[in-house]
Amino acid sequence: MARAPGDEEALAVAFAAHERWAFARAYREYASLLYSVAYNVVRNSEDAQDCVADAIARLWRSPSAYSSERGSVRSFLVVCVRNEAISRRRRQSRRLHLEERLAAMPVEHQELDAGDPIERDRVRSAFAKLPEDQRAALALAFYEGKTHTEIASELKTPLGTIKSRISLGLRKIAGALGPDGVDR
Amino acid sequence: MNDAHAGERAALYALGALDDADAAALEAHLRVCAECARLVGEAERDVDTIASLQTRRRAPQELNKRIERLLAPAPARRTPWPAFAAVAAAFLVGVLPSAYLWERNRAIEDAMLSQAAAVDRLVATAHRTASFRPSRVALAANVMYAPDGSWYVIVVRGAQHALQVAWMHDGEQTMLGDAVPHGGVAMLYLPKSHRMEQLALMDGPRMVAQAQLPY
Repeated sequence: MARAPGDEEALAVAFAAHERWAFARAYREYASLLYSVAYNVVRNSEDAQDCVADAIARLWRSPSAYSSERGSVRSFLVVCVRNEAISRRRRQSRRLHLEERLAAMPVEHQELDAGDPIERDRVRSAFAKLPEDQRAALALAFYEGKTHTEIASELKTPLGTIKSRISLGLRKIAGALGPDGVDR
Repeated sequence: MNDAHAGERAALYALGALDDADAAALEAHLRVCAECARLVGEAERDVDTIASLQTRRRAPQELNKRIERLLAPAPARRTPWPAFAAVAAAFLVGVLPSAYLWERNRAIEDAMLSQAAAVDRLVATAHRTASFRPSRVALAANVMYAPDGSWYVIVVRGAQHALQVAWMHDGEQTMLGDAVPHGGVAMLYLPKSHRMEQLALMDGPRMVAQAQLPY
């Protein structure tokens, strides 16, 4: 559900001031989104819960992590949780062989929905419209959680070029999906 | 352009494509650079736009409870009386108590009374606050201090073990005391009679954060 702009600002100010109620409210509002974002990276309920809890705990211990210049509290939390999940996946993949990961038992979870197929098509279509070099770099970063150095090595492209491609690609794809497409 | 600024790393950070060390360095920079914080905020919205269109799942109840516990208010601060009672009990019941134990309890008691006095003074008097600029992200520390330099309270969150507080002056370093963590927060109260313009947090020989104290 869309929030009134005033609500969002009040939450951002209180969140920046490290108010307990703002953390609790932000979690309540975005709990399923944050859990889903983590789950979509680690593909495991227990790890996804750890990622959300670890990210929130880290922020709670770091009063100056968020400032109002950062903008949306929701987007800030999504990225914090997602980055936590990506770091965890990298650590795990260093430990586990691919075969072991495939053999891991899937944990049951409650799906709210399987993702709106129209929205998924929009994402796919937005990716498809990117120039090939930007699409490859962005997909490796977004879907495979690779670092820019790993992507540069995999695509045999200089690091600076990879940075530019990812940066440009992200702006284009978010522009194509647009604010109207997402319930913020 | 200063290398510390986000630039194109804003998108990489928001996508999780920086390695841990680069991400930590950028996070530290974002605490002090509003322009880069704004730039990263824009990239975060872009990533949120894409991530939000992926499959949604309901957050499990156990996760909700975990976060609830994490954000629950800490139990109220104990009054000095139980500590006094502990000292008295140690003294009386301990037909055995050694002088060492008694001295140790008294030191703890003194520290508690000293910290309680600091908090009382904070509530009652005007004070200033300055942040320590950490060299590692997990640490968040502030110093509250009297404008006349008569007292200082250093509060450190995220410290895993005791950190030493040092006064940096005239190219020298004067150790002032240890901030010892209890429940994730370390506090050190320093009654003083002069203004200190630069403090540092030390982890052994290594400086982990410093603060400038304007008057």
